[in-house]
Amino acid sequence: MVVPAAEPSDEALAARAAAGDDAAFEAIVGRYQARVYRLACRLTSDTDAPDVLQETFLLVYRHLPSFRGESQFGTWLYRIASNAALMHRRASARRPAESLDAFLPRFDAQGQHVATPAELQIASRADELLDSRLLAEKARDGIARLPDLYRDAFVLRDLEEMSTADVAHALGLEPATVRQRVHRARLMLRGYLSELVGVKR
Amino acid sequence: MNEIACVSGVELLIDYLEGVLPADLHAALDAHVAGCARCAAFVASYRETPRILREATAATLPAELEASLKAFLRARTPAFKSS
Repeated sequence: MVVPAAEPSDEALAARAAAGDDAAFEAIVGRYQARVYRLACRLTSDTDAPDVLQETFLLVYRHLPSFRGESQFGTWLYRIASNAALMHRRASARRPAESLDAFLPRFDAQGQHVATPAELQIASRADELLDSRLLAEKARDGIARLPDLYRDAFVLRDLEEMSTADVAHALGLEPATVRQRVHRARLMLRGYLSELVGVKR
Repeated sequence: MNEIACVSGVELLIDYLEGVLPADLHAALDAHVAGCARCAAFVASYRETPRILREATAATLPAELEASLKAFLRARTPAFKSS
């Protein structure tokens, strides 16, 4: 009986690709292309994502010889993809994003929530209450309206589900800074979801 | 330990959920949320927000894009090696 060989690790593939093995590079592309595309859509837009996808793998190819294994290969690759998305956002003439500050929670003079429990809870049900296509469109809009600094941290931490430590590594930040940015993004987007279903935050 | 107001609890929420607060502060927040229906509701919706946005933005790579990526890279990568 033939025991199937275990899949090579990312790091093993990266070493082979860096040494000029094109099949290993194609295997890396095959392993990560769907994730990079999804990330690119989240960080830029459906229109820009194909370019970000191509640029990311071109950069990965060029920089493979400098991958030293100081972080996991996936974290290293996400850092390249995030930078490619950032370059793209800077290059494209972006409409001025309307701030999401208005969606932050509100408190009275005693520091108590202004909204009622039912109003505060409603964002949890945005996916039940809204048509899924409308929600998909509004979700992209909301994420696009985040300040750039918050968006990167939020997308990697909460949408790509990386650990805070990995996000810190990918973005070159302290974990406490990542937490603060993710927190601000969550507060804004939580209020934004409430507003979408027509309720105060 | 002083009693916590909702506004301070919200400020500390991510550190609370990630378990990086000092134990006494963590316990004070537990006590506040347990007795505050508004904060309990707020925490629930705060925790659900990432999931809702994650599911709403889970784009899948179209087959034609996968093919064009492959063609793009095949056309360019050997050139780098010889350059």
